[in-house]
Amino acid sequence: MTPTKTRFDEMLERRLRPEALEWLRRSDREIDAGASAMRLASLLSQASRHAPRGLLEPTAEEKQQAADGLPGWNPERWTTLEALRVRLLVAHPDPAGDAFPEALEECFRYADQGELQALYRALAHLPGGERFAWRAGEGCRTNLKTVFEATACDTPYPAHFFDEVAWRQLVIKAVFIEAPLWRVYGLDRRLSPEMARMALDLADERRSAGRPIPHELWLCLGVHAGDRGLAALEHELGVPDPRARRAAVLALARAGATDRLRDLAEKETDPDALRSLADARAGRCDQTAFAALAAEGS
Amino acid sequence: MRFFDPHIHMTSRTTDDYEAMARAGIRAVIEPAFWLGQPRTSAGSFVDYFSSLVGWERFRAAQFGIAHYCAIGLNAKEANNEPLAREVLELLPRFAFKEGVVAIGEIGFDEITAAEEQAYCAQLEVARENDMVVMVHSPHRDKKTGIRRSLAIAEEMRIPMSKLIIDHNNEETIDDVLASGAWAAFSIYPHTKMGTERMVEIVLRYGGERLLVDSSADWGVSDPLAVPRTAQRMLERGVAPAVVELTTWKNALDAYGQSGQIDFEALARSPVIDQRSLWNDNSVLRGQEPRVDQPVPN
Repeated sequence: MTPTKTRFDEMLERRLRPEALEWLRRSDREIDAGASAMRLASLLSQASRHAPRGLLEPTAEEKQQAADGLPGWNPERWTTLEALRVRLLVAHPDPAGDAFPEALEECFRYADQGELQALYRALAHLPGGERFAWRAGEGCRTNLKTVFEATACDTPYPAHFFDEVAWRQLVIKAVFIEAPLWRVYGLDRRLSPEMARMALDLADERRSAGRPIPHELWLCLGVHAGDRGLAALEHELGVPDPRARRAAVLALARAGATDRLRDLAEKETDPDALRSLADARAGRCDQTAFAALAAEGS
Repeated sequence: MRFFDPHIHMTSRTTDDYEAMARAGIRAVIEPAFWLGQPRTSAGSFVDYFSSLVGWERFRAAQFGIAHYCAIGLNAKEANNEPLAREVLELLPRFAFKEGVVAIGEIGFDEITAAEEQAYCAQLEVARENDMVVMVHSPHRDKKTGIRRSLAIAEEMRIPMSKLIIDHNNEETIDDVLASGAWAAFSIYPHTKMGTERMVEIVLRYGGERLLVDSSADWGVSDPLAVPRTAQRMLERGVAPAVVELTTWKNALDAYGQSGQIDFEALARSPVIDQRSLWNDNSVLRGQEPRVDQPVPN
C-alpha cells in the first residue's frame, strides 16, 4: 500500500457507505490486477454511482496531513467523488510504467466534466509528473472554469512541471477569469519581470476599457513591480473601492515600498485599511494574504 | 410556473434562447443525442459530440440556472451508415453511464430500414442490460408504422413499457402508444409535428396521464419556448392546472427520474445563477457584468 493510497483510503473510509467501500475494494483489486484502459475509464465513470454528493469537507487534521504528505495539496475544495476517482487511478499497478500515460489519456478523452476535474486534480498524485505537462496545459486551455481551477489551484503540479510560458499563461488566465490566484501554489516563488509586465499590460487594458482591475492582479508584481508597477499601484490607491486600496497596499509591501507604506499609515483613518497596512508592514503579505480580499469579493 | 422540456437540442441554440427559457420558467431540459443536420463522417465527431453533451453544454445551461440532462444514443438517420454505426455503437458504453445521462436516446426509426432496426435493437439491449430509460424518435414519414414497429420490438426485447418514451406523437399515434403502457411525448414544432392548439385538444380529450410536452427545438425553425407557451394556452383554454403541471413538468420527472440521475431536491430549490463560474475569454459572457445569485424570475 503506497502512502498516497493510504491517505485517500483514510479519508474515504470516513465518508463512504459500507456498500460503496466494498465497491472500492473490489474495483481496487480489479485495477491492480491489470484492468484494461477502457475498464479503468468505465470504473471512474461508475464511481459517481457510489460516492455521496457534495464536498469532501476535510477536517483541519486531514488538511494538515494532506499538506504534509504532498506540499501544496489542499483538498478543501475537493468533492468526495473526486477523492474516490483519484483513489481508483492510483490503484493502477504500475503508474510509473510506460503503459500508464496512454491509459490516463484514454480516461481524459472520454471524460465528462466531473471526471475531468478529478483527473486534473490527480496529476500531482502520480509519479513521473513531467509526463503529463501537455495534458495539464490542456486543463488550463479549457473553457470550463471549474476544470481550470482543478488544474491550477490547490495543487503543486503546475509549479513543479510547467515551463515559463505555460506558467505565465496559467497565472494571467487566473487573473483574467477571476479564478482565485492566491490558491495557485508556488506563485510567490515563480514571479518574474515578464509576468509583472503581462499583468501591468492587462491592468492598462482594463483601465482603458473603464473596467475595474481584479485585486489579485497585483499579486503578479512582487519585487518585479518596477517604476511602472509602483505608478500603477499609486493609481490604484486612488480608486474608490476600499478593497482595491487594500490590495494595492499589500502589493506595495510585496514590492518592498516600506517608506511609502509608512507615509500611508500616518494619513490613513479607515480601520480596515489600517489593518491591511499593519499586516503589510509586518510582512504578512504573501499570496495567502489575498485570501481575505478574495473571500469578501464573492 | 416551472417547466421541464424533456427534448431540446441546446447545442444548436444561443444564449438568448437560454435567457428567454430561464425567464419563461424552464428549470430543466433533456438533450437527446441526434444528428447535426448533416451526416458525420467519423466516429471521432461522435466522441466530441457526446463529450459536449455531458460537459460543455451542461456547463453552459447552468450559467442560466437550467439543469441540463442528456440522452446518449445513435440516431436513426446515421444508423444507415453501417460501418460508422458499428463504431458508434462500440462507443456507447463510454458515455451512457456518465452522470446526468437519463436515457438511451433518441433512437428508433427514420426510413424504417434494416440498418435502423439493427441499431435500435443493439441499443435496446444496452438499455435492458443496464436498466435504463429509452427515448424513441418516431419517423416523419409513415409515422404510425414506425411507432408500431418500435413498440413491438421493445416489447419483444422485454423493455419495461414504464421505461419507454415514444416521441413526436400526433392524434393518429397516441392511442397505440398509451395502450402499450409507454409514455407519449409530443413535440410542439412550427409547421410540422404538432401545434399548440392541437396539443390543447389532445390534453382536453385524454387528460395528462403519461403525456409529455416538449419543444424538440434544434437547428431548424423551432421554438425553445414551446413548452411554456403550450402550458399557457392550456390554462387559457381551461385545462386544470394540475394537468398542465403533469404534462409540462411532473411526467418528465417521473419518466426520466427512473434513471436515478435527476436530483429532485436540487431541482425543487429555487435556481441560483452564478455566471462567475464561466467568466472567461471564451465564455458565454463578453465583458458584461456576470449575474450572480440572482434567482430566475419565474
